[in-house]
Amino acid sequence: MAGGDLAPVTPSTSRQRNPMRQPQFIHSTTFRWALAVAGVLAIFVIVLFGFIYWKTDSYLIERSDRMIARQLHYIGDLPGGRQLDAIAQHLDQDSRGVQYAGLFGPDGRKIAGNLEKFPLDLKLDESVQSVPILRTLPGGPQTRVIRAIARSASDGNALVIGREVDETREISHVVGQALALGLLPAFCLCLLAGAWLSMRAQKRVEEVNQRVQRIIAGNLRERLPHRNIDEPFSKLAAIVNGLLDEMETMIHALAGVGNDIAHDLRTPLTRARLTLERGRTNATNLDQLQSVVDKAIANLDQSLSIITALLRLAEIENGRRSAAFGSAPLHEILREVCDIYEPIAENKSVDLRVDVAQPLNVLGDRDLLFEAIVNLVDNAVKFVPEGGKVGIELIHSDDNAIVRVTDSGSGITEQEREVVLRRFYRSEKMRSTPGVGLGLNLVAAIVKLHGFRLVIHSGPGGRTEIICPDPRPNSRAPATKTQASLIGKLEG
Amino acid sequence: MTKVLLIEDDSETAEEISAELSDRGFEVEWSANGIEGLDKARSSHPDAMIVDRLLPGMDGLTVIEALRKEQVRTPVLVLSALGAVDDRVRGLRMGGDDYLTKPFALVELIARVEALLRRPVESRETTLRVGPLELDLIERTARRGDRAIDLLPREFRLLEYMMQRSDQLLTRAMLLEEVWNYKFIPATNLVDVHMGRLRHKVDGPGEVPMIHNVRGSGFILRAGP
Repeated sequence: MAGGDLAPVTPSTSRQRNPMRQPQFIHSTTFRWALAVAGVLAIFVIVLFGFIYWKTDSYLIERSDRMIARQLHYIGDLPGGRQLDAIAQHLDQDSRGVQYAGLFGPDGRKIAGNLEKFPLDLKLDESVQSVPILRTLPGGPQTRVIRAIARSASDGNALVIGREVDETREISHVVGQALALGLLPAFCLCLLAGAWLSMRAQKRVEEVNQRVQRIIAGNLRERLPHRNIDEPFSKLAAIVNGLLDEMETMIHALAGVGNDIAHDLRTPLTRARLTLERGRTNATNLDQLQSVVDKAIANLDQSLSIITALLRLAEIENGRRSAAFGSAPLHEILREVCDIYEPIAENKSVDLRVDVAQPLNVLGDRDLLFEAIVNLVDNAVKFVPEGGKVGIELIHSDDNAIVRVTDSGSGITEQEREVVLRRFYRSEKMRSTPGVGLGLNLVAAIVKLHGFRLVIHSGPGGRTEIICPDPRPNSRAPATKTQASLIGKLEG
Repeated sequence: MTKVLLIEDDSETAEEISAELSDRGFEVEWSANGIEGLDKARSSHPDAMIVDRLLPGMDGLTVIEALRKEQVRTPVLVLSALGAVDDRVRGLRMGGDDYLTKPFALVELIARVEALLRRPVESRETTLRVGPLELDLIERTARRGDRAIDLLPREFRLLEYMMQRSDQLLTRAMLLEEVWNYKFIPATNLVDVHMGRLRHKVDGPGEVPMIHNVRGSGFILRAGP
């Protein structure tokens, strides 16, 4: 149904329109719903009117039955002589000509009244029945079905009182008229409303489609139309617009990253090109040529390592590695990092220390966590001046485990803190040190993948922390705070 | 003569690799697609294979899988432009013996092919010996001649790895992967720093140096000078 609703607006299907040239709104779900509602409404109204008709009809018949029964008792209870007068009077009072009365002798002969014969099927048991009678009218004899009641008197005569219930016909006529007057316009109104709503919706969809086509064509500034916020369509448009805002920002950010990548790749490639070009012209012997080529290769390797680092970053950011999550021993990782970096630190006369209070496992990817911590330590060792100190600590509080890397260097300023996580950001003072400038991005991506937090403190002395909430493995479901602290205390 | 089968669809890359292998004294056979490569692997019984992952006709990994099913144990080096950890793991699981991401240095490629051809045989020996150097794998001790060498655990593992592959060029990437087990270490000089310390301990003053630095490519442990 939804497909049918949307199909006419997509460019591929609008070309192959219905050959019958039916108006489009007929195929829309909105219109079909309106049609269904109108149908249900009509059925409901017909049933309702039928019920009213039936109820009124039976009420009127009942009332008329009571009347003729009363009349029968009244006339029947009169003494023999006065019955004839009463019958005559009764018939005289009937201006509409619907009353019938008859007094018949024991031999079936008519004594008085307007009935020529005793009705054939009428029983003398004082119950009201429908019986056919033959009536002489100016146009000739006519058979009519009337309600009649009969009783046999003590002298052998039979008294019949009857009434023609012609109101029923009138009522059905009135009901039919009312039905026609009320139902038809209502049904038409329903259809009109349905058609209008569906065309309106179609118009909005078409409008949205045009805007979306413009966005697809590359106009990222385009937004969907929305008037007031309470209407569902506008609400939806506002939501989509929010999404488009976000995406526009992201695309611009990505474009910025693209520019950065291009710049950072171009730098070593330009160097390689220049070196090769100059070498080709100026090198006069094999040694010179070889040194030129070595320089060019080094620059190419630098470009390649940037690409590798970017791909690696994308790999982690896409979160493809979360399958490798398991219990990762932070204490072991820290010791290992220290083990690997100690000789490097020592070469720079940097005092590298690891301080682990107690073993601690977290749920995560061991290799990735190692990579993150190694990058932090690498940064610290790189930034700290010769003779400085770098410390790696594993601290844990009630519901947090903190891996803290500190150094005795100058640290970073508040302004720098904002930009260190930008791709390819490299501190001005570090321009001469080798590196790609993606280390912290990598750390941030890994930390994010694990649901941990990366905190970089500013001020004298570098201090970077990875905060891992709820350090117990196998229980990532957030325990309540009291539970967590209780367990923390028990473990402590 | 050692025969190497190269299955690589890019002819320029294949030419460079073949030329380098020939210079090193290998006999090279080249196929540009997977199906032909598989036929050659079956018919000419190479000693080692270099297989590109993405090939026309038949994927490189499928070729290896097919060979392994036929119980062909020829060592295979997988070349690939896909460098993600998952791709690497899959390449090795499908029967590759080593995995090299494009672009690579030719020295690296040759070193890895040689390492594949000279894979250390499983031995019950508990003592490794290279020239005057002796490594006791049970006692975890090392000595050079009469001199005992005091090694840290990581240095011990590094020396063990090198002694199992003496006279063989070991590149930095190979050492990082095999000894440190980590592929993504930001310090580019990590191997050099650790090797420097090991060399300081192994090659004492006045002794004939055993650990040699091959400029721009890696290290070799040799008994003689």
